[in-house]
Amino acid sequence: MSIEKRLQEKAVELLSEKKVDVVVGYEAGTLPYQAAPCFIENPDDEGRLVLNPFCSVNLAKYVHDILMAHKASQKRMKPEQRTKKVVGVVARGCTTRSLVIHLQERQYERDQIFIIGVPCRGYVSKKKLAAAAGGKEITACAIINDRLSFTTPDGTKEIPLESVLAESCLSCRYNNPVISDVMVGDPAPPMKPDSEYADVDAFEAMSGEERWNYFAEEMKKCIRCYACRNTCPSCYCKVCFVEQSQPRWVGVSVDESDTQAFQIMRLFHMAGRCVDCGSCVDVCPMGVDLRKFLKKLDKDGYNLFAHRAGEKMEQQPPLSVHSMDDKDEFIYEP
Amino acid sequence: MEKKVIKKDALAGIVKKLAGQMPVYAPVQDQDNVLFKILEQGMEPMLDFGNTRNAPKNCFFPQAETMLKYFRTERGRELAGVVEGAPEAVLFGVRPCDARSFILLDYVFDDPKYKDTYYMERRRKTAIVTLACVHPPSTTCFCTSVGGHPMSSEGADIVLADLGDRYLAESLTDKGAAILKKFGDLANADDAALAKKKELSEKSEKEIKSIIPGNDIKPWLDANFDNPFWDTIHKSCLACGTCTYLCPTCHCFDITDEVKRDGGRRIRSWDSCMSWLFTQETSGHNPRTSQKERWRQRLLHKFRYFVDNYHAIACVGCGRCVQYCPVNIDIRKIVTDISKL
Repeated sequence: MSIEKRLQEKAVELLSEKKVDVVVGYEAGTLPYQAAPCFIENPDDEGRLVLNPFCSVNLAKYVHDILMAHKASQKRMKPEQRTKKVVGVVARGCTTRSLVIHLQERQYERDQIFIIGVPCRGYVSKKKLAAAAGGKEITACAIINDRLSFTTPDGTKEIPLESVLAESCLSCRYNNPVISDVMVGDPAPPMKPDSEYADVDAFEAMSGEERWNYFAEEMKKCIRCYACRNTCPSCYCKVCFVEQSQPRWVGVSVDESDTQAFQIMRLFHMAGRCVDCGSCVDVCPMGVDLRKFLKKLDKDGYNLFAHRAGEKMEQQPPLSVHSMDDKDEFIYEP
Repeated sequence: MEKKVIKKDALAGIVKKLAGQMPVYAPVQDQDNVLFKILEQGMEPMLDFGNTRNAPKNCFFPQAETMLKYFRTERGRELAGVVEGAPEAVLFGVRPCDARSFILLDYVFDDPKYKDTYYMERRRKTAIVTLACVHPPSTTCFCTSVGGHPMSSEGADIVLADLGDRYLAESLTDKGAAILKKFGDLANADDAALAKKKELSEKSEKEIKSIIPGNDIKPWLDANFDNPFWDTIHKSCLACGTCTYLCPTCHCFDITDEVKRDGGRRIRSWDSCMSWLFTQETSGHNPRTSQKERWRQRLLHKFRYFVDNYHAIACVGCGRCVQYCPVNIDIRKIVTDISKL
């Protein structure tokens, strides 16, 4: 039985047995290379669920949104009228790590989520796919085993699927769920995590000026639509500092320094909290390379604190805890 | 007006030469994206592209602009306006859908009652050169469903059509005729060129396969403000501004004062109905409490309120929001779904 079919059966089972109120998953999109997040509340709708390499966005963001909205709706109710909401979520490795971060940060209780773990062999980067098609429109797209074929007005072409997988996926260390309530499908073979910091190493080798110039150039592309922030499961501040007006931290105009300030602040807020799901890169309409900077923070988190975000429930994020054996040389030797 | 033909390989040179005389906005390749930018030395205008990532509205209605400045002085408060005379400019390589967006934006910014001096100054001084779509650039194009046409000259001062071996250039306004003169000595168009354009125009229209019932949903929208349908479209929305910022017709703006010590400036910047700050009142109250209401606003503004106010749909069918929505919320599907209710 295909993994998709098993996933659909699991959704029916969970919804019919009232174990969950909603299953957050993916459905087929309206474009040949897209899958869209979907929310199944009725067991009869289970047929909409798909699972393929076009499923890109990290669904943990929606789990948080749904549970927060529910919490807010319960506020003015009498205690006896309050209900519990359980969200089922189709989760691959990175999604489960984001859920772990939510749990560690006490956003909701473990029994409010039901994790339907799925193996992952990487998702297709829309940007890489567009580049492979030479910027021409893709009118059809199909994946057969490890090959991807796409059709443009110039004809049909077949390429290795790996050549268009997102950078985050190629060097992913956790492509199988780190926690789950039920696992659908067999674990996926490992990706190539040993190369995960190759990009960062090259970036670190550059001079400070070169690094700043690279950052400044990338930020010039940003149109401040905040898609990166909004898709990020770790970006859940009720009011983001960029939107605060008393005081106003960041100007509303398109001044370069304002855009840089927003991105720098967001990046630093991700220290020890970024699972490298690649969603922010995937959703950016302008193709800003955010990953390099996030990965640098991730590398520092590992080197300084032996911490990988969302890896284990027991391991708290480094900036949330203090331990007597924390490295502290940097305080004296900047 | 004038009808001329331009040799295929001469056009890029003409545009670059023009850019030496006045600001010329043209589509240029900027890393992965094709963007409208002011053509500078060494930049190559693109002639063969689908459509630009960003809409050209930025040229007249920038994402942020200073409206006025103020200072606290010993004499009291002083104001300084910043309406500067815009230079004569050319906006080159606009697709017909985007050119049409300016007609819609004019309804708002050049209203008989309210004239937006900031927008109008730039709009009046800029000639728009449309590059007609002899083939629809994308399967997500649906201009014909919302009152447009792939070879339309609406909103253009000059319209260029690629006839295969040469371009047909037609000026439609005095502003266009003046710019066409600057293109240099060009041969007059013959009947064959005009016939070819007509043929291409009919062919291109047929090639648009994405058809939506854009004109049919108004009565439903008028009557169904509280319909449960509105609970179904927003759930996956990230509430980012991609759709509204890339949209050629979205024109909501916000006005903010930025104060530093003894002075400040008043800035107008794009607003987005997708943002939770949209219509947020000073008290903290927002009549649109969730993404559901914001999505309803987006749909109703485009397909109901704008039609009531200006007798046109505030959508030109460029398909940018369809292509670039990170979570694939497809306005074509929404409109089609509504038409079936």
